[in-house]
Amino acid sequence: MSKRILVVEDHEDNRQILRDLLGNAGYQMIEAETGEAGLAAAAAERPDLILMDIQLPGLDGYEATRRLKADPALRSIPIIVVTSYALSGDDVKAREAGCDAYVTKPFSPRLLLTKIREYLP
Amino acid sequence: MLIVPLLRPDRTIGLLVVRRREPGEFPAATVGLLETFADQSVLAIQNARLFREIEEKGRQLELASRHKSQFLANMSHELRTPLNAILGYSELILDNIYGEPSERMRGVLERVQSNGRHLLGLINAVLDLSKIEAGQLALSINDYSLKEVVQSVFIALESLATAKRLALKVELPAALPTGRGDEQRITQVLLNLVGNAIKFTEAGEVAIAASVEDGAFTVAVRDTGPGIAVADQTRIFEEFQQVDDSSTRSKGGTGLGLAISKRIVEMHGGRIWVESSQGQGSTFAFRLPIKVEPQAGQT
Repeated sequence: MSKRILVVEDHEDNRQILRDLLGNAGYQMIEAETGEAGLAAAAAERPDLILMDIQLPGLDGYEATRRLKADPALRSIPIIVVTSYALSGDDVKAREAGCDAYVTKPFSPRLLLTKIREYLP
Repeated sequence: MLIVPLLRPDRTIGLLVVRRREPGEFPAATVGLLETFADQSVLAIQNARLFREIEEKGRQLELASRHKSQFLANMSHELRTPLNAILGYSELILDNIYGEPSERMRGVLERVQSNGRHLLGLINAVLDLSKIEAGQLALSINDYSLKEVVQSVFIALESLATAKRLALKVELPAALPTGRGDEQRITQVLLNLVGNAIKFTEAGEVAIAASVEDGAFTVAVRDTGPGIAVADQTRIFEEFQQVDDSSTRSKGGTGLGLAISKRIVEMHGGRIWVESSQGQGSTFAFRLPIKVEPQAGQT
């Protein structure tokens, strides 16, 4: 069965890019548009990996990551955070929130896929 | 009753009123004294008003500056989001996700990508600079190895040098003390200097040399490029100033790299300079205290 990736991202264009990228690479994509919906989907679907955007309406990506990593049932799911800019200090905050890895926006789909494959060989 | 006006050259701003029980005129000495007192009061009132005005202006300026930085931070996020889509989709097309594009289409997409990345570089540089100007860029001070900084820059730019058939050399002393400063920012400065050196050198070599002396590191980037006239040597550290304005287009680059580097080095209590003469190549160097401690007011 193909691995399932939960994408928490509020921009339709970015979701479309990920849909095309991940679908082409043989992954199944689950989508959530807000931090709250992401938490609910993570609990209900138990994905193999989570791609988490930072700037989300409502609960932001840091807080969502923190809550997922505080949940004993979900903390083993690797989280890759998509931060806005390498030197903005977001990477530090993302690590503090407990993410496993991060990529910076604009992310290169090619590099993102390489990163995902590190966790889902 | 005696009334002394509080006079400013242009108008009366108040009155000094003195009453006494005894009838009759006030003695001239008292009137003189009160006049002096009135003059001094005018000055004191004026000073107090000016002071309040300056305080208010300061508050307004601070607010405006905060609004400006917030605006720039938001704007750069808003600019980057659509750029993400442009760069992302074009890369997917180049990776044949939507079928095989023709060679001509590939060429065009590569141009879309390189222009997109250039735009991204500009947005990031403007954000960096505006953060520094607004005093919002805090150094993240930690121990670092200068050797590792130099090596990471070497690894990042080696292929760029090779593509131009330039030798990229590293000259490091056998031992370097552990530094204390913002490693990421120092790396950014060195990346900028070495990147520039490769960009503007057509033949020969680019060498990165580090040394330590009197509690400070000196890192020098030497190239065999065209050199920079003395008249231009100060100007190039200012925003959007390149030796030749047309080089922004032919060589790429934002014209902000050196301005940002200068500020980063100065935030570390160091300085940056260039030694060059036309036709003789250039050496860009910066000197940093080995141990930099966070400045007051910085986190």
